[in-house]
Amino acid sequence: MIKNVKLALIGIISGFVSGFFSTGGGLILVPAFMYLVKLKSNQARGTSVFCILPMVITSSFFYYQGHFIDWKLSVLCAIGGTAGGYIGAKLLRKIPEKYLKIVFTVILSYVAFRMLTA
Amino acid sequence: MIKILIGIVSGIVSGTGMGGGTILIFMLTVVCNIDQHIAQATNLIFFIPTSIMAIIVNLKNKNINLKLGIYIAIFGILGAIIGANIAIYTDVNVLKKYFGGFLVIIVFHEIYSIFKEYKNEKNDNNILKKEKED
Repeated sequence: MIKNVKLALIGIISGFVSGFFSTGGGLILVPAFMYLVKLKSNQARGTSVFCILPMVITSSFFYYQGHFIDWKLSVLCAIGGTAGGYIGAKLLRKIPEKYLKIVFTVILSYVAFRMLTA
Repeated sequence: MIKILIGIVSGIVSGTGMGGGTILIFMLTVVCNIDQHIAQATNLIFFIPTSIMAIIVNLKNKNINLKLGIYIAIFGILGAIIGANIAIYTDVNVLKKYFGGFLVIIVFHEIYSIFKEYKNEKNDNNILKKEKED
């Protein structure tokens, strides 16, 4: 019962984050699934993507109503994204995740700094 | 052209299972000078086809816990309605600052998880060594 309430809260928070920032829901869901429900990492990731898609579709509706969707830009990025996703998945098999994570964290620190000082 | 390139880079990051969305939003706002709201909306649209592909693959590999997923998704939709509505009424520059703050939290979370993995690896290695010695 308490676990269900916790899970419901986690659902609402991850929905809020993914609606407000349009990203980052998985960051909450993946660890929550691993530590609270004891799912394995690939199960936690798979289930989190499954949960986030309906949240993203919901958010898209409101961003669309606010006239924030630039279709041309979105399609161009999505074309690149599909190709990149394929390369990334292959890359993951070749380079240890640890190194990718370190590179990602360094880049993100810079990004955060730029955003806060912009 | 640069927009496709940005898509490719974000796709690569997404494919490795890390926040491709954060990188996409950052590049759109800083490199292309696009408003935070539009960048975030682009990320939403960007996410839909890529995640459908990922869900199909994960369903095939039985990597999705459906019962749990549906339960969380229902509450998630509720949260998304609240979050998206607050976001569209938030000032562009304020939203950008919040996003920067959010990234700082992610950075700390990543650093923590890198250290944790490193520790686990060390423990695993020690156990392996002990098993070999035994």
